Order: sequence, then C-alpha cells, then structure tokens
Amino acid sequence: MKIKITLFAVILFIINLSAQEKQKDSINVNELSEVTVVTATRTERALSSLPLPITIITSEAIAKSGVTRLNEILNEQTGIILIPDESGFEGIQMQGLDAAYTMILIDGVPLVGRSSGVLDLSRVSVGNIERIEIVKGASSALYGSEAMGGVINVITKRPKKDIVEGSLSYRYATFNTNDANANILWKKKKFSANLFANFYSTDGYDLDKTTVLKNVESFYNYTIQPKLYYDFSENLKLTVSNRFYNQKMDNVALIDSEIYKGDAKENEWNSQIKFDHKWSSKLYSEYELYTTNYKNDSFLNDQNNVLYDRTYYNQWLFRPEVRTTLSINNNKLTGGIGLNYESLDRTYFDKDVKFNSQYVFIQYDYNPTEKWNILAGFRYDNHSEYASQLSPKLAVNYKFNENFSLKGSVGYGYKAPDFRQLFFDFTNPSVGYTVLGYNVAEDRLNQLESEGQILKRIDGISFDEPLKAESAVNYNFGTFYKKNKLRFDVNAFYNSISNLIDTGIVAQKNNGQNVFSYFNRSKVFTYGAEFNSTYKFTNEFLVSVGYQYLIAKDKSVVDNFDDHKYIRNAELQTIEIKKSDYFGLYNRSKHTANLKVAYTIPKIKTDINLRVFYRSKYGIFDSNNNQILDKYDEFVNDYFITNLAASKNITDKLFLQAGANNLFDYKNPDQIPNLAGRQLFARIQYNF
Amino acid sequence: MKTNFLKLSILALTIFITSCSNDDDKKEDTTPAVVTTKVSNLPAPQTGGQGQQPAGGEFTRFSFSENKIVTNDNWDIAFRGTTIIVNGGVKYNAEDAGEPARTGSGAVSVVSGTFASVNAFPAPATFKADAASAYAFPTGADAWYNYDGATHIISAKAGKVFVVKTHDGKYAKFEILSYYKGAPATVDPLTAESRYYTFNFAYQANSTTTF
Repeated sequence: MKIKITLFAVILFIINLSAQEKQKDSINVNELSEVTVVTATRTERALSSLPLPITIITSEAIAKSGVTRLNEILNEQTGIILIPDESGFEGIQMQGLDAAYTMILIDGVPLVGRSSGVLDLSRVSVGNIERIEIVKGASSALYGSEAMGGVINVITKRPKKDIVEGSLSYRYATFNTNDANANILWKKKKFSANLFANFYSTDGYDLDKTTVLKNVESFYNYTIQPKLYYDFSENLKLTVSNRFYNQKMDNVALIDSEIYKGDAKENEWNSQIKFDHKWSSKLYSEYELYTTNYKNDSFLNDQNNVLYDRTYYNQWLFRPEVRTTLSINNNKLTGGIGLNYESLDRTYFDKDVKFNSQYVFIQYDYNPTEKWNILAGFRYDNHSEYASQLSPKLAVNYKFNENFSLKGSVGYGYKAPDFRQLFFDFTNPSVGYTVLGYNVAEDRLNQLESEGQILKRIDGISFDEPLKAESAVNYNFGTFYKKNKLRFDVNAFYNSISNLIDTGIVAQKNNGQNVFSYFNRSKVFTYGAEFNSTYKFTNEFLVSVGYQYLIAKDKSVVDNFDDHKYIRNAELQTIEIKKSDYFGLYNRSKHTANLKVAYTIPKIKTDINLRVFYRSKYGIFDSNNNQILDKYDEFVNDYFITNLAASKNITDKLFLQAGANNLFDYKNPDQIPNLAGRQLFARIQYNF
Repeated sequence: MKTNFLKLSILALTIFITSCSNDDDKKEDTTPAVVTTKVSNLPAPQTGGQGQQPAGGEFTRFSFSENKIVTNDNWDIAFRGTTIIVNGGVKYNAEDAGEPARTGSGAVSVVSGTFASVNAFPAPATFKADAASAYAFPTGADAWYNYDGATHIISAKAGKVFVVKTHDGKYAKFEILSYYKGAPATVDPLTAESRYYTFNFAYQANSTTTF
C-alpha cells in the first residue's frame, strides 16, 4: 500500500513539474465567442461545424420553463418522449429507441441503477444545471455500451469568476409538492467550490380514487452535490465532485385483495476525481477516476406489521479512464483507455455478479479546409461476459457558407446484455411463472427438472452460445440553416437494430405456467426526420417549432407478414389485412410536435413562456390477437399538453415565477398512467 | 327513321333475352353453394388437466351432417376443454375412458385463410387422423388458440380453417370463433365461462373437390 501511495505521489509530482515548465498559451478569444460543446467529441469544440445531430438546453430555458426534474425538461424537447414501460418505469425514447439504449451522463460520467433497463430520470434535479447536451444517434465509438440511441450529458454549474455567488429558491406546486434549492458558488484565485443542495417532496397523485393504490405514492428526496476545484497551475487542474442522492417513497401493494404497506429507499453516490493536465499548447490529458453506487431497498409489511417481502438492489461501478488530445494544426487526435469494474448484488440473483471490461478509443477531428469537418473514430471494448465489440463512427460536416451547412454520419452502437438478462432468477409468488437469465438458465432448468417442476422443455433451445449484445447501425443526414432571425435544422435518421434481446418461453411448468429466458430475437428498424426551427421576431418575441416523424417496425413482421394477416372483426369473423396496415412497434407515435413561444411583456418586464406539445396516436397492446400492432387495434388517442409559465425579475436579486403544467388538465387514467393532470406552481428565487 | 329504330329495338331485345337464357343455363350447371352454419355454445367440459391430474371427462361429439351433438358413433369431431379430436385413426390415450373410440375414416387438414376463401379441398397428403399420443389437430405453438399468460384469455386464432373429412368420407370446413359462452367480442377474464365453443362450419355432401 505504501509503495502505491509513493508511486502515485511521484507520478503526480512529475506531472506537476512538467505542467509548470510550459508557458501559458496566450489568447484564445475567438473560441470564447463561438458556442462550444463537449459531449459529441469529448473535447471542447465548436458547435456550428459539428457533424452530429445535437440539441442544447440552456439554463435560461430550464429556468423559464419552471420544471424541477430532469425527466420533465427532456420530455419538452423535439424527438424525445417520456414513456412508461410495461413495469411502469418511465424512460426516454429517442429516434424510436427505448430508454435502455440512451446513456445518461452527469458531467461526463454515467449514472447506473436501471430497473429493467430504464433509468429513472426524476432522480436528477435541474437546480444546478448549466447546460444539457443531447447527442442523437449511435455514440458507442466514444461511450461504449448503452450509447446506442444517443447520449445525454447534464453539465452542472461551476464558478467562473472570483466571487461568492449563489441562489436560494423554493417552489410549491399541486399535490403538495415542495422543491427547495440552495446553490453556492465560490471562487478565490486557485480554489473554487460549488455546493448544491435540493429537497423535493410530494404527495404523489391518484387518477383513480376507487383503488387503494395511487399512480405515484408520496415520496421525498434530497440531493447534495459538493464540488471542489483546485488549480495547481494553469496547466494542472483538479476537480473533485461528489453527488449524494437519497429518496424514500411509500410502497403500497395489493395482493390477493390484501393491502401491504412499506417503504422503498433509494441511495446513490457518485464520485469523480479528475485531473486536467496540459502538457503543452498542443497536448493535454485528463485523468479521471469515477465511482458510483446505487442502492435500492424496499419492503412490504402485511396488516399486522409482519414483514411480507423484501427486495434490494446494490450496484457498484468503478471506472478509471485516461484521455489525451493532441492538436495537429487545426485538427485534434483524441485517444483514451479505461476499465470498467461493475458489480451487482440483488434479490432474484443467486449470488452477486461482477463484470470486468477494458476499452480503448481513438478519434480524429479533422478540418482539412475551412468548409470541411470530418470526425472519424472507433472504440474497442473487451468484456468478461459477452463478445468484444468494435464500434466505429464516421461523421462529416460541409459548411457551404456562414448560413448553411450539411452534415451526415454513420455509426455503430451496441448495448451489452445486462445483469438481469444474464443472471436473473425470479419466480412470481402469486402467478407462478419463472424468469431465468441466460447464463443461469441451463443449470436452473436442470435443477427444476430434478425437483419435478417441469412439465416439458421446448425443443431446439440451447444455451451453448453466449448471448450477443444488441447492436445498431445508425445513419443521420441533416442540414443547418440560419439567416437573420430564422434558424432551422433538419435531421433524417435511420437505425437498423439487430439481436434485440427479448424474453421467450423455454419450458412449461407443472403448475400450468411458463419458464422464460432471454434470447437475441428480433431485428427492428426505425427511421424518420426531425425538424427544429426558431424565429426571433424581436428581442422580446421568439417562437420555435419542432416536429418529428417516426416509423419503428419489427423487420421479422414485415418479412413474414403472412403470419399476422388474419384478425377477427367485431362479429368475430376472420378478415385479412394488408402489410401496409402494420403500424409498427408499441408506444411510438408517428408524429410528435411542439410549439414554444417566449414573449417578454415590455411594460411589466414579465417573461411569458408558453409550450404546447402534441403526440399522435400510439398503441400499447395487441387487441386483435395477431401478435402485432396494426391499424385495427385499439390505440391511445392523440393529445395536446399545454404548459405555461410567467416569470419576473424584481431587482437583480429576486425572481418570481408562477405557472401551470398541463394547463387544460388533460388526463387519460386508463391508458396513460404517467399524466397527472393540471399542476399549478409558484416559485421564488433569491440570487446573491 | 322509324323502321331503323324498330329494327334496332328488336335486335336489342333479342340479344337481351338470349343473354338472360345463357345465365340461367350457367347456374344450372354448378352444384349448390354450401351454406355456412353457426354452432353456438357447444359445451366441452373437462375434469382435471393443467398439470394437476390427467384430463378426464366425456368428449362432446358433434356431427356435421346432422348439425348437432350426438352420443352414437356417427360423430365427426369431438371437444373436451381445448382438445379437439377427429373420428379417424386410433385413440390418443387408450386408457382414457372419456375419449371415444374411432369408428370412422375421418381426418383433418389445416388451411390458412378467411372462411369464405377456402373453396378447394386441400391435398390428400395434408390430412391427418389421430394416432396414439399424437393429435391430428395441431397443439402447442400451432394450436387453434392463443393463450395470454397475463390475462388468462384463450382466443381463437384468426385465419385458421380446419377442413375435416367426416367419418363417412364427406367434407366439412369449420372455423372456431370463440371459446367462451355467448361468444363475447371482448372477453372479461373474471366473468366469462370457458369451454363453450362457438364455430362456423360448412358441410359439403355432394362434391369431392370443392366447397
């Protein structure tokens, strides 16, 4: 241990020494006036010539909308929609891909703790967000697994000037919802710190008062995020960032007409230690150590307060990574290596399981002329449980002039089979079906057979080959146009996804129920186009319109449509339907649109922010029994949601806001459980 | 002028009458089209089964030519729970007292299509009779029904028409519409009574090639 500390200190000393020998490079003013982004290339670079589709949400936009949690602000963006999956967990859908295929980062490092693949984004408060960068399309060339649909990076505020400043805010909303924030930024010469604290509580809501269960039970949570920055010199900077999250929610269940009550606790800790090291004006490195732990513990007691059920989930991720960028003239060559050590201990797993993987990535950001920008790169992941992955990517941007550019990209993305798909071992206590992860299925099936529980095993099922990762090839093609008051961008996309992992029956049990496991089943394709435009009538009046067209279909259905072409009509007679009647996958709307109006009333200096969202009809299950969603099935009706907020700055220090989300109280309790009805809110913020 | 008109009308009239006669002649040449009959709520009770004790109870026997439940040997198909047997071949389970012995030369072939579209008889090689431990009516993934594990509803697959060679060598086609009493369009799993078959059938006594 002592040797390791000494070695670490020696290395640190050498780096520090080399950092201090070089002279600070003089002026980089030009880059400051240009909008820069970091997520698309893991380096700071200009947005205007970026060859990838990216959406940026600024802190002003977040403040004006009056929302408090990350899932709420993401739901307002074109092409991103929040949908609950079969288990009721809400996740985001991007380019038609489910929540499990988007990676969520906070300050460049990923969040863990997914229930059935879905990350609950209401865990993240928006109180100290500087900017959110959303890169759409397969990004595994930089980020590895889970970045198949895209990457969302939440960048938190950091102090820039040598002062003490901060804000305190409190917001009260319908359903007895309280949200209090305190954010303090402090910078003095080489040392700066940021402390953010958030408390959130709500009674939840109930769309159907006849049942004892609420759609969302009452809960409270708090977030504490202390960050420290120390500049050893211009060339060596240290960041130590921690985030603690703690949530307690009422847990209520109705089993066999009996009510069970308890608690569900969530605990999360993210810790990031990073050194930014500038070797010279052309070479810099980042050394990063990231650790995160997500714990979920819930229990249910019966009416006599005797423990009935207890489930827990405890996931650790440990990731050291080193990235280096070399500037060659106008171009940048970035390389990185790292390793992932992940462990998960949870109920329904026989023992705690560990994943080990190592990865290396390279990217070349090439500017051969003023007009061309080419991004090429790949990443290689070597994993202990599944086949190694090579993820390449190529993107090109051509700038015709200041006003107009064209961009296109092709990239590979993948999502590794997760812990649950490999190691799950769960039997439903009331119904009696069993779900087994792929790696444990063979042994467990043999065990169940020897216990006499298996009626019959399905022929032709073998677990000899390892489960493959889900993979996608993604194409994007778009344009960017701006002139005077108008800006718009269009992006057409196509995703071809293979080896989707889904459940399948492996055996029938003697109790009449089935045993399921996970298999690489389907091929799915999604395509569409996204359109965003902003028109600035005056400095006080801005309108933006966004629209996405999306088709998402299962390729095996399209290829074997004859298997699905018969359905029964209302008189139970068989009729034949056409291939063009196939609607596509569940939970996907063909058309989503948004209209946002920002108007400042000059006389009273109040900002009015109106957003209207439209979602066209979508299907949630197959009602006519041909195993697919076709136009004769029952659909969820299309709907509009209107959010309105009015805010006013009284002096520089005081900020007041009031508004309504879901202004016209649109509800659909049977089909849309996550639409809560109208919520009024009022907020006060003190800036110092 | 008038004469031409008269000649034209006589010509038209002649043609018209002749055409009518031709149609009538055509109709007399074909065999009469089969009639679709609907059988509702045919009970098919079963004891045991579902992995507990072996399935038992009497099969409900049906005759296409008589269009009713029969208790003698002149049956074509028989129902018990979700199992359907044909009066041909041998018993599936010789020890099963509720299963009737096969007394005819019946067989069944499965065709995909809407009920009205099944006109030609399928090829003779596609017909199967019951055998020991092997049902002629497909089971498992190819069964006539889908079982939804979540709602526990059994729904008759659309587009599945069974062409049955009856016990005495005639042909019938039938399509199962519902497994529940009253054949509701949407089945309420809490109140619906199962094991009541509603099906359409058409019996062809005269032709040996088409319906």
